[in-house]
Amino acid sequence: MPESLPPAERLLNLVIALVNTPGRMTKDQIRASVAGYDREGSGDAFERMFERDKETLRELGVPVVTVSSAAHGDDQGYRIDVDAYALAPMELSAAQLGVLTLAAELWQDQALRGDATRALTKLRAVGTTAAATDAVAGLAPRLHPAGPALVPLLDATQARQQVTFTYRAASTSEVLLRRVQPWRLIASGGGWYLVGHDIDRRAPRVFRLSRIVGDVDVVGPAGAFTVPPDVDPTALVDSQHSGSRIAWLAVAPDRAGALRSRAVPAEGTGEEAPTSLAAPEGMDVLAVPFERTTDLADEITAYTDAVVVLGPAALREAVVRRLLEAVVMGDRLSGTDGGDRGTDA
Amino acid sequence: MGAIVERTPERLVRLLGMVAYLDRHPGVAVEDVAAHFAITPDQVMRDVDTLWVSGTPGYWPDDLIDFDASSLESGVVQLTQSRGMTRALRLGTREAVALVAALRALRESVGDALDPAEREVLVSTLAALTAATGEAAAAVDVQLAIQAAPEVVATARSALRTGRRLRIRYVNASDAVSERDVDPWQLLTGDEHSYLQAWCHMAGGERLFRLDRILAAEQLDQAVTTDPGPARQETFRPTAEHERVTLELDGQARWVAEQFPVDEIDDLPDGGFRVTMRIAAPAWLHHLLLQIAPFVRSIEPDGAAREVATAARRALGAYEAVPDHEPLPANQ
Repeated sequence: MPESLPPAERLLNLVIALVNTPGRMTKDQIRASVAGYDREGSGDAFERMFERDKETLRELGVPVVTVSSAAHGDDQGYRIDVDAYALAPMELSAAQLGVLTLAAELWQDQALRGDATRALTKLRAVGTTAAATDAVAGLAPRLHPAGPALVPLLDATQARQQVTFTYRAASTSEVLLRRVQPWRLIASGGGWYLVGHDIDRRAPRVFRLSRIVGDVDVVGPAGAFTVPPDVDPTALVDSQHSGSRIAWLAVAPDRAGALRSRAVPAEGTGEEAPTSLAAPEGMDVLAVPFERTTDLADEITAYTDAVVVLGPAALREAVVRRLLEAVVMGDRLSGTDGGDRGTDA
Repeated sequence: MGAIVERTPERLVRLLGMVAYLDRHPGVAVEDVAAHFAITPDQVMRDVDTLWVSGTPGYWPDDLIDFDASSLESGVVQLTQSRGMTRALRLGTREAVALVAALRALRESVGDALDPAEREVLVSTLAALTAATGEAAAAVDVQLAIQAAPEVVATARSALRTGRRLRIRYVNASDAVSERDVDPWQLLTGDEHSYLQAWCHMAGGERLFRLDRILAAEQLDQAVTTDPGPARQETFRPTAEHERVTLELDGQARWVAEQFPVDEIDDLPDGGFRVTMRIAAPAWLHHLLLQIAPFVRSIEPDGAAREVATAARRALGAYEAVPDHEPLPANQ
């Protein structure tokens, strides 16, 4: 028997030994008999290695349980229960495994990539092999990277533990320590967000992960709070998400193809085109469904004079405001208005 | 010894998974085991060699995991003794969260674009995984955006399945419409926008087409003539040919530095920052300036700001007749 096995092989032998032991194995028995442990080396070295191995197995979902024997005082023994580590009975078809492989791809370039890959390896044990089945051919899900804060925040969310982190506020760029009960992590619209209860502000808050500076620290015990049942954290991120409405737009001929492609027949909208503003001559009037005013206003503003918003008023105001801001910017940068911005920051 | 650097936990999980898998599947070709676990046949043989000498203390022949030697000589892995290691490992919390959140995101985003059989696979996989792991995944919610005409998505998927060329009408960021024949490679379903990655025969190169800018798609009889390249992570890869601009912005526009590839960023003491980036096209920069106008302190070169302001002034003309619009609120 080789004295120095690679760690994976030592751990494999430890698992097989502790699963098959009729009652329990003491540390001495493990050291003396399980392949890969050095029975000649120092007791301290063995203790450290064994503790590390138990921790590795625990992280993999294979708990080593401690069994005390009444007959031997404080002499502890160890065992692994199959039921404690076994996946619930399931079978996955080759197509299902294909979908899971695709799902795992979502996490490429992400901190959770290792977890997704390992999960896939575990599930392959209950999957069926087949000649390359592309269950959902040609789909490749992608996410913007969440950065290093994702994993500690996810663990704390799962354990319902309070966290603290340094956060750069969007409005003021001020950097402050925040204390938060983490409720949910949300990837939406190209950003990653934490929604949680801000302890100092005594209210739910949304934090953008990319504005977290440095490490996330976990504070206090697990199970420290519960997510209020009447709160929908995702809705807090999507607070402008208010269902589909119709934008009435006047569009110059052959322009704004992307808006035109989303237009619906005016008769089908159940609305009348607004009359407070007449469409400029030669422009086509379109009815375009939309959900978020800010998103559509950004898109429309980019077309400048090729698109005129007839309604609703909130959308028109959002576009007019953006246009006015652009005019002000032009004046400011060309120096015709030395005005409201300090130059001595 | 192979020169493969693999982390201990990954190898252990696979070794245990392989025993459980082979216990359910008597006699599997080495190549099929390799494909199943996404490793090389050589690695399968190294794993088998490891399992073969592993077992319960004593390590006499009867204590060890065992395989049928003559099958193995003919390239088939046949497990004859599992030493009780027949159960798959349950998923850890993060592992379950990662897969369940990804499956949910796929169901919400592309579920409607799948044919019924594909959709059934997706839904049943999610159900099986949720049943096996419990309600672990509420902690993460991933929202993928596929804001495209359903016919366009359906046509693109059909062309992908059958390996046919597509003819698309596409409107780019500068609002110019073109008709192109493309070899579809992949649909990239993102958290902000979704894209068709394709070989464009008009441009003679790989292109990403934003799905919501594809006005129409038609499947051609012609088969594709290019092989898919790797999926791209960024939609715009700046190169030395792209024009550089330097922007000084208020802190409120920090998302610009977070969202786009930047060459340099300097934080300023007052919370503002200076960022140097390469731009894909003038239209893109114009669009950006319209979104962040109140926060722009300076831009170098400054021609774009003047052009944007002129265009905005022209556009405002159309609204002069509006009786009810509010003047721009004072500087917030």
